[in-house]
Amino acid sequence: MTEGQGAPIVTELRRAISAGRVLDRREQVAPFECDALPVYCERPLAVVLARNEEDVVTTVRLCRQHSVPLVTRGAGTGLSAGAKPYGRGVLLVTAPMSEILSLSPERMTARVQPGAINEHISRAAAAHGLYYAPDPSSQIACSIGGNVAENAGGVHCLKYGVTVHNVVALRIVTIEGDVMAVGGDTLSHPGYDLLALVHGSEGCLGVVTEVTVRLTPLPAQTRTLMADFASIRAASDAVSGIVRAGVIPAAMEMMDALAISATEEFCHAGYALDAAAILIIDLDGDPDEVAAELALVREVLRYSGATRVQLADSETQRALWWKGRKSAFPAIGRLSPDYYCIDGTVPRHRIGDVLEAIDAFSHRYNLRVANVFHAGDGNLHPIIMFDSREVDALDRVELLAADILEYCIEVGGTITGEHGVGMEKINQMAVQFSDLEIAQFLAVKQALDPKGLLNPDKLIPTLAHCQEYRAIRERRRESSDG
Amino acid sequence: MAEHDISAELQRSVQLALANPAGKGLRIRSGNTRGHLLPGDVTDEAIPALDTGRHTGVIHYQPDELVLRARSGTPLAELESLLAEHGQEFAAAIPQPGRASTLGGAIACGWDGPARPYGMSLRDTVLGCRMVNGRGDSVNFGGQVMKNVAGYDLARLQVGALGTLGLLLDVSLRLLPRPEFSVSRVFAVPEQQLPEWWGRTRALRPLLRGTCYLEGLLHLRLCGRERAVKAAMASLGGEESALDWRALGDLRHPFFCTDQLACVNLPPQSAFRPATGSSMVEWEGARVWVRDGDHVQLQQQAREHNGFVEVFRGKAMRLPAPAREWQRRLRNAFDPEGLFNRALYTAHFHGSEADPCR
Repeated sequence: MTEGQGAPIVTELRRAISAGRVLDRREQVAPFECDALPVYCERPLAVVLARNEEDVVTTVRLCRQHSVPLVTRGAGTGLSAGAKPYGRGVLLVTAPMSEILSLSPERMTARVQPGAINEHISRAAAAHGLYYAPDPSSQIACSIGGNVAENAGGVHCLKYGVTVHNVVALRIVTIEGDVMAVGGDTLSHPGYDLLALVHGSEGCLGVVTEVTVRLTPLPAQTRTLMADFASIRAASDAVSGIVRAGVIPAAMEMMDALAISATEEFCHAGYALDAAAILIIDLDGDPDEVAAELALVREVLRYSGATRVQLADSETQRALWWKGRKSAFPAIGRLSPDYYCIDGTVPRHRIGDVLEAIDAFSHRYNLRVANVFHAGDGNLHPIIMFDSREVDALDRVELLAADILEYCIEVGGTITGEHGVGMEKINQMAVQFSDLEIAQFLAVKQALDPKGLLNPDKLIPTLAHCQEYRAIRERRRESSDG
Repeated sequence: MAEHDISAELQRSVQLALANPAGKGLRIRSGNTRGHLLPGDVTDEAIPALDTGRHTGVIHYQPDELVLRARSGTPLAELESLLAEHGQEFAAAIPQPGRASTLGGAIACGWDGPARPYGMSLRDTVLGCRMVNGRGDSVNFGGQVMKNVAGYDLARLQVGALGTLGLLLDVSLRLLPRPEFSVSRVFAVPEQQLPEWWGRTRALRPLLRGTCYLEGLLHLRLCGRERAVKAAMASLGGEESALDWRALGDLRHPFFCTDQLACVNLPPQSAFRPATGSSMVEWEGARVWVRDGDHVQLQQQAREHNGFVEVFRGKAMRLPAPAREWQRRLRNAFDPEGLFNRALYTAHFHGSEADPCR
């Protein structure tokens, strides 16, 4: 692995930014070699801990001048290796820029630095009866800059939208090192919708240095239902039934038997260990509306074959049910030395089919899969359990993940709902999109980052890579058919 | 509803135009109900028109999924009737200046109605689209699912792009259940008391679908479950309002019948009193319509309030182009030959020295 010492850019970064904030010794950069998908690791040439927008501008300009790749990292909680550094590149960490700069209760907005932690924004807004709605499972640790880069979702985005629906303005440093304001306090903006373009662009188009988020009034009331089902199919049908009945719950989450047993053992939330699936449903808003919708949802759950329906009778009980759901990943981590979480989204009415297919695929590769996911918006999170010490385990995991994601495309869905493409799903981009579509993505990238220095080789594959992967896939299919 | 798929024909027209580099480019049109509200010459008969008006019909609609995918030339009114049969509606109220207003035109303009601050804007509800870009390629972005972060969000980018990035073939939009019950109330409110009212309307948020202040009267629209709306109405008081919200949203309210019409976009709860013309306030002060005003004076005043003016009727003014360089490069990335809607591009995105005025 290359040591940064002696590289001209490192010397210049040191001179321009304070020396203590430019790390290049092996032991200093090692903690930054991966994000929350440690399957992909590489030690960067240097790490810059940015304090402010000037540090970002300086770093971007020097990278451009030296033609050195630049990867931006927020809190490093990403699940698709979008923040994996390059050995010959600089890793720009915006986590130290974590201030909430201002909060306007009248305009219901908060202006924050990119390293601000998602949950801290809601905490600051609570005094004004407001909160920041998108709530990824990592919200206690993830940064808002990373949320913008991935267009992060969360449990409550069925009703309140994902990041792109809840951000009104950004400041971005372009690859030329210019600071650009996008969006603003008005509800409509002149020009192309650059806010939409930047959300989910995974740091490939610029570096976000400030985010103005829209805040939402805290609901007057939230009621939570938990329903047990004897089959996954029945639980899936109930999800569609609730939407058909004209109700949009604030959240509608599903867990299968394996996920239930793992989490129950971990945090004793009171889940039914004999259920094949459970649904946790939040209804919030005006108390009269909540009461009317509660009655409707209960009725749908009853005719969908729920074996038991419970209404949380206290805030403590609500919190406990949700604690179980939110700690499902670490709980599953206790059952297996390693786990790998994927993120396809499918039309709601196909959830049952896809879960059955996942079960069949998992037998093919002799791997266990737990499912805990955002059923309301069809966003699946199959968690593959494995032991990386087994010789071919990771290969089998990758093949199983590819089969699942490609099946999501087949039923009319997508390979990623909220975790992003990063490096992880770069192959499946070739399945979801045609060469002409990939070429249009590449044209956008080329237009805004002509030298391809910003997070290179992530999100959009090259056309050569697409053709290569499609050929491998074809051969694999032929051999499995034969 | 008429089902016509003329994708191949539309794509061929683009490819033919590409083969003629000396040509005048292409002008996209369909229902032709919005052109008169767009500064920049969209009606130049010398430029060949690409008419999507015959590209109609629903490609996919499954009520459970709350998603509709339809061809760009389909009239919005027909789509609305179909959705109503299933107790659903568009998740954003889409302005329809005429009966012939189409889905493609709505996306291209990206206008929003009175409910915009209280729910989703049109751009928020776009899930995917298929389009012919300026290379003559038919490409599909986004999809029909609620969450999708595969690749750049090039579908949402088409909202408000005025067809300058390509020709839309079809669009997938998010839907919502139709509200069970709705009412409108009206209150006589002196203008200086509006800020106080915006504090009160905040509390009505889950049910609020519109605020409109016109001629000393504040109209509020509430939608939701009957029990909840009636309870809110009882505590609110006021009289029943006869305001035609539909006409307001569709820009067909008598207020809009003038040759001099502009919209001032402002930060929410702005106390903006135009020094010129007569006004109507929407979106809790974030949108102020001004008729028969001096637009130059208005723009100066809007800037002082961190807002900007959009002219709908009258002499066009250059819009601010905060990220001009990115806009230019994006146009180039989609339409390298500058085939589509040149006049609109110059007037709305280019921000060049060329005079975009009609």
